Amino acid sequence: MSETKTVLIIDDDPDYVTAIEALLQSSGYQVRSACNGREGLHLARTIRPDLILLDVMMTERTEGFFMLQEARRIPELSQTPVIVISSIYTDQPNFRVSPEAGWLPASLFLPKPVDPARLLAEVRRLTEAAADPIGHSAAGRRES
Amino acid sequence: MILNKPLLEPAAGVAQPRQAATGVDSRFDCTLYPRVQNRGIRQPEVRPPMASLNPIQASPPEEKLVVVIDDDEIMRLSCEQILTKAGYRVETFANGHDGIRRLREIRPPLLVVDIKMPELNGFEVIRSVRQFDPDMAIVVITGYATIETAVDAMKAGAYDFLPKPFTPGELRMIIERGRERWRLIKEAQRLRREKEEVERRFITLVSHQLKSPLVAVKQYLDVMLFSLQGQLPDKAVEWVGRSQARLVEMLTLIQDWLALSKIEGGSWSDLAASTPLAPIVADIVQDQRLLPLAASLTIDVALPADLPPVRGDRVSLSMLVSNLVGNAIKYNRPGGSISIASTLENGWVKLVVRDTGIGIPQEYIPHLFQEFFRVKTPETQDIPGTGLGLVICKRIVTELGGSIEVSSEEGQGTAFVVRLPVAEMKKETG
Repeated sequence: MSETKTVLIIDDDPDYVTAIEALLQSSGYQVRSACNGREGLHLARTIRPDLILLDVMMTERTEGFFMLQEARRIPELSQTPVIVISSIYTDQPNFRVSPEAGWLPASLFLPKPVDPARLLAEVRRLTEAAADPIGHSAAGRRES
Repeated sequence: MILNKPLLEPAAGVAQPRQAATGVDSRFDCTLYPRVQNRGIRQPEVRPPMASLNPIQASPPEEKLVVVIDDDEIMRLSCEQILTKAGYRVETFANGHDGIRRLREIRPPLLVVDIKMPELNGFEVIRSVRQFDPDMAIVVITGYATIETAVDAMKAGAYDFLPKPFTPGELRMIIERGRERWRLIKEAQRLRREKEEVERRFITLVSHQLKSPLVAVKQYLDVMLFSLQGQLPDKAVEWVGRSQARLVEMLTLIQDWLALSKIEGGSWSDLAASTPLAPIVADIVQDQRLLPLAASLTIDVALPADLPPVRGDRVSLSMLVSNLVGNAIKYNRPGGSISIASTLENGWVKLVVRDTGIGIPQEYIPHLFQEFFRVKTPETQDIPGTGLGLVICKRIVTELGGSIEVSSEEGQGTAFVVRLPVAEMKKETG
């Protein structure tokens, strides 16, 4: 890794944030966190993270989705890779959002709680791909 | 479209696609309902959505609109005059065909129709209106004020009748009453919808609140085991593993309970949808093959390519197939096999999921579709499950108008046979 990559975690559960933060830090990432979409968006504009990990149901029930759509309208964040991590996927069997659908421009969706090995692999892949404009290189991937 | 429906559901919102030209980004209009205050649940503050979204303003139907259908011009003019004076907007038609065409477009709350007309008579007009609008208040004007005509009109679906000749006051009064009735019907419908919506949102919220602490605990354990690999004593690793399994058990239970509540609330199964089974089965098999338990199993899928789509939406059907295939894996034995086959039989799509597993003792079979029932034998004691999977399957199949049967032989295996109605050719989902 040529330089330290920064990951922004946006999630309203402080314990979840603590666990993921520890995991990422021990793998050499710099981690920042925000507990809601508004704060997350503000922080993202300020620190320009290499990757965002985003929860869905925070203060508002679909806050994560709104935040994501909002972020994509902001030029400096339009290309930042985003992994949406939510437990709502386990409520929907075989829930899949194809990024080509365009309405939810995330790079990847993962169920919560997230498998540490899988998360690290995806974080590495997406932060390293980030030099070359993003997520779209991962856009064809499906959650499986 | 099926994809964003489940997404917006937790938000208790409505998503509406906007048709866009090919190659242009699709647009979605989202309406999010405000949160409801629920008893005892921590309520996050109410805030407008962050993004500027256009709420759909479904224009409320015009309440003071009356359509008059009468072949008698004098009658049309006088009705129009009386009702216009009373503050109504009136559209008049000289024959049933033109009237019905317009009624279909504008769906007014009120219709005044003459019984005796050439071509289409009043009864025929009422009958055809009732096919597309059960709520419109229809007042019949009749020259023959016999009880029989009145009864016939009511039977056909009229709300009231007015014998000729009538005074302006009589017409106004009957129209006012009709409007009030229509308004009450609409109000009742709105309240019913709201109540259902509140219930649905409550379920989603409770489920999220129940799951969050478990997710946090499981996440700590996952990260701890991963980060401290090789540094923990064996006993600790074992106990953390057991704790994780218990958490997954609880999470699955909440998830199944949520699914069941949604099916019961009628908010899942879309009966108008038509969905091909083959891709669903293929996706689920592909996913579940990866489960450690499935590693030694042979899974054979035989779905003919020309199988017609079945009634129901992708989410319900996925849940059904996923539970059946999941059971066939869980209750199988190392080296066993599973076959998933489908055939068309007298207008039904028959799906058979057969395994060579441990089977079900006969005395348990009648209880399989009961909530929280689980077969308790030495062989099943280590198999995780909530006792809700088959209940969910049964409810989904029942909602869709199909059937589910089971046959099993202890020690030999089990077969679930599901019959689903072939979809009427309307719209495709998936």
